[in-house]
Amino acid sequence: MSVAQATNPVVARPSADAVGSWVRRILNLVAITAAVLLLASVITFALGAMAKTNPAAAVLGETATEADIARLDRQFGLDRPLVVQYADWLGSAVRGDLGVSWFTTVPVSDSIAQALPVDLSIALLAIVLAILIGGAAGIGAALSNGGIFDRTVTIVCSLLGTLPPFVIGMALIVVFAVKADLLPAGGYVPIQEDPAEWLRFAILPSFALSLDVAASIARQLRTSLVGALRENYAIGAQMRGFSRRRVLFGHVLRNAAAPALAVIGLAIPLVIGGAVMTEKLFGLPGIAQLALQASEKGDVPVVLGTLLVTAVVVVLASLVVNVAQTALDPASRREPAKGGLG
Amino acid sequence: MRTLKALWAQPASRFAFAILSVIAFLVVFGGAVAPYDPLRQFSDEVLQGPSAKHLLGTDYVGRDVLSRLLAGTRLSVVGALEAVVIAAVLGVPSGLASAWMGRIGEWVSLRIADTLIILPFTVFAIAVAGTIGNGLQQAMVAVGVLISPMFFRVTRAVALGLRRTQYVEAAELMGATQWWTLRKHIWSKVLPNVAVAAAQATGASLLVVASLSFLGIGVQPPTPTWGGMLSADLGYLAQQSWAPIFPALLMMATVGSLNILADGIRDAGSPRRRRPGLVARLHRKETIDVAA
Repeated sequence: MSVAQATNPVVARPSADAVGSWVRRILNLVAITAAVLLLASVITFALGAMAKTNPAAAVLGETATEADIARLDRQFGLDRPLVVQYADWLGSAVRGDLGVSWFTTVPVSDSIAQALPVDLSIALLAIVLAILIGGAAGIGAALSNGGIFDRTVTIVCSLLGTLPPFVIGMALIVVFAVKADLLPAGGYVPIQEDPAEWLRFAILPSFALSLDVAASIARQLRTSLVGALRENYAIGAQMRGFSRRRVLFGHVLRNAAAPALAVIGLAIPLVIGGAVMTEKLFGLPGIAQLALQASEKGDVPVVLGTLLVTAVVVVLASLVVNVAQTALDPASRREPAKGGLG
Repeated sequence: MRTLKALWAQPASRFAFAILSVIAFLVVFGGAVAPYDPLRQFSDEVLQGPSAKHLLGTDYVGRDVLSRLLAGTRLSVVGALEAVVIAAVLGVPSGLASAWMGRIGEWVSLRIADTLIILPFTVFAIAVAGTIGNGLQQAMVAVGVLISPMFFRVTRAVALGLRRTQYVEAAELMGATQWWTLRKHIWSKVLPNVAVAAAQATGASLLVVASLSFLGIGVQPPTPTWGGMLSADLGYLAQQSWAPIFPALLMMATVGSLNILADGIRDAGSPRRRRPGLVARLHRKETIDVAA
């Protein structure tokens, strides 16, 4: 078994013993999603339980008496057993209540609801750009298999993988904001206020964020397209007189797109995590600013809330990609692919 | 041993090895060969371009960029290596074990891997810094835990494949203990794959560590690291737009060499396959880099 197969379970062949019924497949997906969400919540809560900061001491300062600390501990519910605290915390979180900040007493869910759309809109635009750029590059490379364009795409993709995404962002700032003065180097306007202005502020962060994913998509799409073009049905279609282009877009692309979609599924944590980086680069008021500020003060409820919400967003987005992949790929419709959410 | 010889026979791997040797030298002696103290501020030579006195110029408080780059290699690389060691220690044994566990244990271990994969590095590391504490050790444990599924999956896949081979079945039928089979048959096949994963993971981890120090997590300024230097450059892009190039190039060389080495080990482990050209080998990289 080669390593390429081993490290990429999403494109691995479905197991032979899997029973291909829709109900079972959906139940399996639900069970996996629920387990992952539960584990993510346990990890998040465990981090909070290991926190060194005592909220009462942190909020009240050094002059706090033991009675004050005990009173605040009771107010935050920190004097109860951990299991009870976890059950209570999870129960509230499911209902959308993530507690209040220890310092500002602003509800955590309110702060997150304000910051999350920034990251989500940037990440979504980045994925759209990545599909456009990566798709075009991958198709072009497959069409010129072995040619100059193919080689260029391959080398550029490999080089992109050796750089942290924020360096690409810095290069974009230099080119488009500092030298050419075309776009703002930082700042943000919410999309619901002014979509055109939003795009002006969002395009550079999204572009910076999209390149990595675009490289992965291009690489994967090229590999599966070149493979599919060698299949008998594709050769047969060409022999019947269809142009290479027509065979590619009409027959092959649909089959070859599923592995590329799997790449997007795997890239979602990177895009969300990368959105955090671009926030710092471009001064966006997103979830990372919230988490970073809270992390400096030791504001545990805010920190835990951001981690949990991010995990939920990633899981749900992966679920969407997973379903889309099933709808697209006839082979994975017959038998459930192993590897869960990917 | 044969694998190592085959590896050394590849020009690309020798080249990557040479670059990594230079980086290793800088990890140990970087601070010693630096022309100046990386923290010394030449306060009347702020934000200067390259000159004979400062070969790569100076930063916003007049510190010598070359010195900071050389001295910063140690924390940048050692931090990444620490995370990879933690990841391997967590991932390899659990990957082996999951191939022999019952269905429930297998399912649970796979779900744990799934969960660690979906947690974004940066958000998780910020959360760890905000709860357990902001320091290099905490950040490296956080990165190591999140990278461990890479090792878990590779080890598990290889072990699962070998478990079903006839010679392992034969050994088990003849009464070999699992421990004996593991040592005799499995380990030597798992090792090259773990080495490939380790090289890839080190590259990925270098990028994550740089991203974290860019955010101010792990190593704190003024201690020099590649990511921290880039973070400082961000504020002065209008004055010194070329400044990020040096740390970025150093990072590209290191991560690129690690990727070439990973490919080299993979090829060296499969002697019967004809070695394709460089571009064709890049095409085979269908695996998705963790932090890339």
